Amino acid sequence: MAIKLIKLIKENKGGFIGALLLFFLMIMTCYALLFVSTQSRLQWNDPIFWSDNPKTAAPEWFNIILKPFGYQLPEHKIFLQKDAIVNTLNDIDFKLENNTFSYQFDYNEFPSSFDIPYTITLGEIPPILEIYVKRPDNLEFKIYSNSLESVNSLQNSEDSSANSVNDNITAPTLINSNTVSGRVFSSSQEVQNSLSEYSNIFKFPISGLSSEKIIYSQTDSNTPLKGEYEFIFSVYSFDSDTILQNLKLVIQGKVFGLLGTDEFRRDVFFGILIGTPVALFIGITVALSSSFIGLFYGLYSGYTGKKAGTFMLTIIDIFISLPTFIIFIIISIHFGRNLLFLIGLFILFGWPGVALLNRTFSIQIKNYPYIEASKLMGESDFKIVLRHIVPQLLPFTLANFALSVPIAILGESALSFLGFGDPSFPTWGQMLQEAHASSAETLGYWWWIVSPGLMISITSIAFILIGRSLENLVKIGKRR
Amino acid sequence: MRVFFFFLLKKVIILFIVLSITLFLTIFLLGSTMDKIMMDQVRLQAINSVSGPSLENPQLQQFKTNEERQKLINQQIKIQSQSLGLDEPWYSPKKLFNGIYKILTLNLGNSRFFTTYNGSNSVNELILEKLPNTILLFTTSSITIILIGLFYGTYLASKEGSLPEKFISGLAATSRGVPDWWFSMIMIVVFSFFLHIFPSRATPLSSPNEPGYVLDLLYHMTLPFITLVIIGFSPFVYYVKYIVLRILDEDFIKTLRIMGIPKKNILYVHALKNAGPQLSTILGLGITASLSGSLLVEQIFDWPGMGNLFYNAITQNDSPLIIGLGYISVLIYLLTRLILDVCFTYFDPRIKSGET
Repeated sequence: MAIKLIKLIKENKGGFIGALLLFFLMIMTCYALLFVSTQSRLQWNDPIFWSDNPKTAAPEWFNIILKPFGYQLPEHKIFLQKDAIVNTLNDIDFKLENNTFSYQFDYNEFPSSFDIPYTITLGEIPPILEIYVKRPDNLEFKIYSNSLESVNSLQNSEDSSANSVNDNITAPTLINSNTVSGRVFSSSQEVQNSLSEYSNIFKFPISGLSSEKIIYSQTDSNTPLKGEYEFIFSVYSFDSDTILQNLKLVIQGKVFGLLGTDEFRRDVFFGILIGTPVALFIGITVALSSSFIGLFYGLYSGYTGKKAGTFMLTIIDIFISLPTFIIFIIISIHFGRNLLFLIGLFILFGWPGVALLNRTFSIQIKNYPYIEASKLMGESDFKIVLRHIVPQLLPFTLANFALSVPIAILGESALSFLGFGDPSFPTWGQMLQEAHASSAETLGYWWWIVSPGLMISITSIAFILIGRSLENLVKIGKRR
Repeated sequence: MRVFFFFLLKKVIILFIVLSITLFLTIFLLGSTMDKIMMDQVRLQAINSVSGPSLENPQLQQFKTNEERQKLINQQIKIQSQSLGLDEPWYSPKKLFNGIYKILTLNLGNSRFFTTYNGSNSVNELILEKLPNTILLFTTSSITIILIGLFYGTYLASKEGSLPEKFISGLAATSRGVPDWWFSMIMIVVFSFFLHIFPSRATPLSSPNEPGYVLDLLYHMTLPFITLVIIGFSPFVYYVKYIVLRILDEDFIKTLRIMGIPKKNILYVHALKNAGPQLSTILGLGITASLSGSLLVEQIFDWPGMGNLFYNAITQNDSPLIIGLGYISVLIYLLTRLILDVCFTYFDPRIKSGET
């Protein structure tokens, strides 16, 4: 048995590789189905969920490739409140709380940016927030200060904007009666303004530069300064009720995760993972239905012959002559953006090819002597077809099934690329569409392009290889 | 000859049915949206004509109440929509007939957003401007693929089981599974982002009237051309090899060998000639497939062809342009198929004698 199996693999190397690829896809599917809930799948299109991730970061292993060249991209770092060293200083009429994060910076490029989300419970008198950066060369920049006084007046005028999260809104907002939440972005105007006061320290004009390129820069040239940085978040509170609830320091790196992130800070690997079951579902459903319909349609039109058979052949001819892709586009403009609808469309245009093949074969088989013999014996047509013709056609149908899976997958990704994908089911084609819309290929975000396309290719190639070796097996069987 | 004639007649009828189906489908699906868009335009025009600063337009001072003004607007909308035929639904026979007649006579109307270099927004002129570019890119790449396929495929047929032969088989399966538009994106990343050899946008920077335009166009065409050839050549080589191999098995080739005709001669003259009909079938399918695939590839390279225009029309929802482009591409597609079918049947001796 084992020897036979090894021999079979040796004879069908392509099929074996295809089976391995399919196995890999199955593992991905199982993982996605078991460990990713519907809830988190829907979060794919929710920008708030991804706000702690870096923008367009390369995969983490990219640094390993760069290491021999002595070049390192900044990693993504999230410091939680417990990572901070807290110093408290009690004065007569105020209390100063310093939260210090120390950040070791040893990279050859500036980080993308940083942001500091915080939540504070207010007492009677609003506290004052200040953020300092202490550099390895002992320079200290005050980059942000805010007395939370304005928040109280905000409370009365408008509280509808409380849940809006925007890239450049750093203004603290009330989340309930006495809790304030805010997010300080390095790209915000306040940080830029406070940094412009240090322009005399630097020997180059800093006015057009973004703030992280100033903070991490050497003073005589605009290149990164390596060493240990300290981010100090100070709270001056004037009563005992003021408590710092939550504090984070997110240093946006340029490498992140297994496959990097996209323009919308989403983890590309997560997208790849949740796209796998969808792609397989589309491919297998379409292939199964169209080869089933094709089998029986082809059988009937081939076996009956006569006028009905010719008429059925004409219908197949018309379907095959239709310019499928253009029709897909025109139908999708009107109805599109629904997964089941797309699947239906692919089945509608997928079966005629299979039917034509099956028709040709069933005409051939129909004329074999043993069929005629059973006809003479008085067996019913239905029985002849089921007993004698279908078993002969099944291997071909199996090969056809495998070969029509990639057609559906490639078609779906092409339509998704045109923007007709179902937004509630993120697919690889949609990822590529978003990448192209953000002109990822001209900006060099290769990780965002390579992995979804590679997955599409792997899936199609797996089925093509399996289908091909099935075809070969059938042919060999026939020769004997 | 009679069989051939009937075959041709059948083909023409089928293609005509296909054309009518696509046409009807397009008008059926886009007709209502197009009416809605035109109605909005009429409404906007009517409102604009009676609003604006009243001092400049003495007619506006006649209105005492808002109602009177609204009345005039409604009146104008009614007159306009009647003259454009918008008061009837899109499926009224008169309009349907009109629409089909217009399209059949290639009166494709005006695009809503796009213009040619000369500023015309007629769909006909837009298509005429882009069509040569599409033909230029896809015929040159197809011819290259065919030449490589014919010679290398036939050569490989004589080397069955060798390493290059196995390699091409694998490559053919791979290229069939790889989406060509994704491969184009990869080529842009490699050749224009990392290596800076070719521009990432294939639209030439100079305008068509400048002297250096042709050279500029060819330079911008290089990357799409290379991409199309790389992704397309191996499946064709594989098919040619497959078909030639089957012919090499036949008895007349063995006879030729015994007669002592040189191996090269047998391969490139006798085997290839006999593979003709089958090869042209595959060629026809390949060319029509590459025409529809051109849509995405052209858009990714920003090649100024029909596919790119089609993509932009879809994203901007420019219905007249979508209908016009859809119709023209279907027409080109069907004509190619018809010509190829006629050629196969004319050259295939089996059909002439009525065997199949």
